Amino acid sequence: MGSKYPKSLRIFLPLWVLMLEIAFILVFFFFASYETISKKSEFLKTYHAFQDINVMAVLGLGFLKASLRRYTWSSVAFNLFNLALGVQWAIILDGFLFSSSGKITVNIQRIILGAMSAMSVLISSGATLGKVNLIQLIVMTLLEVTAFLGTKNVSWVELQGNEHQSMMQIHLFGACFGVTTAWCLPGRRLNAAKEKERGTTTSSLFTTLGTLFLWVFWPTFNSALLEYPSEKETAVYNTYYALTVSAVVAMSFSAATHSHGKISMTHVHRATLAAGVAVGVATNLIHSPWIAMVLGLLAGMISIAGAKYLLVMVQQVIGIRLDAHGRSCLKPQCECICSVPFRAGFQILYSAGSLCLFMAMGLVGGMLTGLILSLNLWKAPHEGKYFDDQVFWEVSPSMNLT
Amino acid sequence: MRFKFPFVAICLQLSMIILFGLFVGYENKWQYYAIPYESWVFFISLLWDIGNIHVMTFLGFGFLMTFLKKYGFSSVGINLLIAALGLQWGTLIRGILHHRQKFYIGIKNMINADFSTATVLISFGAVLGKISPVQMLIMTTLEIPVFAANEYLVGEILKATDIGASMTIHAFGAYFGLAVAGVLYRPGLRRRRHDNEKSVYHSDLFAMIGTLFLWMFWPSFNSAVADTGDHQYRAIVNTYFSLAACVLTAFAFSSLVEQRGKLDMVHIQNATLAGGVAVGTCADMAIQPYGAMVIGSIAGIVSVLGFKFLTPIFAIKLRIHDTCGIHNLHGLPAVVGSIASIVAVALGVADKTTMAKQAAALGTSLGMAIVGGLLTGLILKIPIWGQPPDQNCYDDSVYWEVQYTCFVHLKARILSKSCAVM
Repeated sequence: MGSKYPKSLRIFLPLWVLMLEIAFILVFFFFASYETISKKSEFLKTYHAFQDINVMAVLGLGFLKASLRRYTWSSVAFNLFNLALGVQWAIILDGFLFSSSGKITVNIQRIILGAMSAMSVLISSGATLGKVNLIQLIVMTLLEVTAFLGTKNVSWVELQGNEHQSMMQIHLFGACFGVTTAWCLPGRRLNAAKEKERGTTTSSLFTTLGTLFLWVFWPTFNSALLEYPSEKETAVYNTYYALTVSAVVAMSFSAATHSHGKISMTHVHRATLAAGVAVGVATNLIHSPWIAMVLGLLAGMISIAGAKYLLVMVQQVIGIRLDAHGRSCLKPQCECICSVPFRAGFQILYSAGSLCLFMAMGLVGGMLTGLILSLNLWKAPHEGKYFDDQVFWEVSPSMNLT
Repeated sequence: MRFKFPFVAICLQLSMIILFGLFVGYENKWQYYAIPYESWVFFISLLWDIGNIHVMTFLGFGFLMTFLKKYGFSSVGINLLIAALGLQWGTLIRGILHHRQKFYIGIKNMINADFSTATVLISFGAVLGKISPVQMLIMTTLEIPVFAANEYLVGEILKATDIGASMTIHAFGAYFGLAVAGVLYRPGLRRRRHDNEKSVYHSDLFAMIGTLFLWMFWPSFNSAVADTGDHQYRAIVNTYFSLAACVLTAFAFSSLVEQRGKLDMVHIQNATLAGGVAVGTCADMAIQPYGAMVIGSIAGIVSVLGFKFLTPIFAIKLRIHDTCGIHNLHGLPAVVGSIASIVAVALGVADKTTMAKQAAALGTSLGMAIVGGLLTGLILKIPIWGQPPDQNCYDDSVYWEVQYTCFVHLKARILSKSCAVM
């Protein structure tokens, strides 16, 4: 057993990061160029989505993870770091995997795709929150983005999915990946860190801030990759109405399942977003608002039930913390398949196939990544120092961390 | 609370889904491939607006009300709850009122639904901390029909202009909320200032997040339903200048009326937004930037003075206790705004409306708000909705699972130890 003091990352971290960044710059220097925009409207069409998705990734997912009372700085800042790294890597991979010329042409659509792929890492880092250092996060980002883009490519070629459908599997993929990674990390039964895992009212309000950002911009996320305006429009409406229903349902069911009828803020954080995930794949195929609303209702209910009963059990057995998406998305994804036949019965097999593919790849990829991360190379923080900002940040002694 | 609140909320939600199934469909005018460039721009700009307005309703209004030290969860959470319900109910009521049969919604309907939600959130500010979530749900269901009727009257029958909805949203919401608060007045809460009705350092900072989001996106709010082109452009510019001027006068007067020239955070959180409210009615008229700045400055001054002098009078003499001071942020500036629109008509910069129409619009908005608010207040006063007793007001732990930090346990342990020693 090593020393209880965290190992210094002074040389190790800057070396890794600088080397990576120099490599990225070299690749961009030799292979990347800007696309010349033919029409101004092309730019206008996508810029709006680009902005909203960045707000979701940086502010939304960042603050969503700020729920641990001694880990808020790392949650928000490491999230930004992951995104910055993930986007660059995703653009490089995407350029080489999906273009024949061997050149990367950078346009807004490609950056949106990159940011959305990097969001898979931001989702799964919720499961490993507080247990890994920056170097492990770098490794995890590189591996996960590669795995996600590879899976997406396979699902295109084999299952004829389109961009939108495969991107909407990101929640499932990220959740599976994160859960298995966290499962492989040391320290599954944490007792010393229990105290630090609790939230406070302030950190809970910060999480609410993140939730609301995600809530408000989710329709853009669900509609960004659709091609035709009428599809986009339908997707936006369906997502909005499903989200409104799940917000109401989340609160009422949270109160109904508590012994004194009190609402739990953690349930609100998770279940209000469940509907956005649930309508994701089929959102352009639903042609009446009430169907989307029923989906939202079911998603909210299942999410609360899952958070309340199922996951307490899972948590006790396996001893891992699950991320919001992990909690809310596994079940609603199943509903997605059920909702597809409303318009396109024959697609159900493909959907089921791609669902299984993403889930399996997530689980296997997460397992491998977890094993790599638990090697002794990365100067990982000691178990007793989990969930603590002090390991990574300069904290002035006068600052009251509670 | 355990059964009453989920029962009411789920019943409302189920009836909403059934009504949507019966009455609402999507309009999809555009064919899949060829659509003209102009429609694209129009659609995208509306999509942008609706995102901004959602940020205002959910983040802006929600966090603006988190200033109470123990009431942050309820402010944001109940705000989300009633906004989510209000969006659906607002879409439905407005559609039925205008079409009277099955109707098809587009993106404009969603913006209008957002507006009806904003009205309820404004009224929520007056009763914040004093009523239960069930009462809040009832109030939402009752307020939105009255709002829609008033909006229909002002827009379709009187044909007054109210582009940023100073009168139909802000004045209506504020006076409705005040009327409800007046009926629900509880002397026990005023005898001495309630312990929890205070802010702490970080809760004021959270409220400031709300203020800043509202401030940034207010131009979208005032210009969302304006005609594209000149009118929309003027609405954005006027709102922006009015807000900017309002910030300066709010700071100046806050320093002037407080002791030793210090600033009061309450004024900064609220009065800096009064300019956006006041310029609403004449936002799309050709009032020139200086006109907007004059309106904004006056609104800032009125709002700060209202907080300082009018709120205590309201609470003590008129027996209306207004938790967030919505009368000063929304009520008074909206009245200023409608007077400004009458002046603008008199100066001949408005082409669509007359002085009489504007005055009538103000009158109907106030009248309907107060009558509707009094009736709603009476319904809410029936003692079956689980209104919290006086000592539990302004406290999250009544409705929320709150994890207090370890201090509480520590304190308890120290107390028990010292008892043992004694």
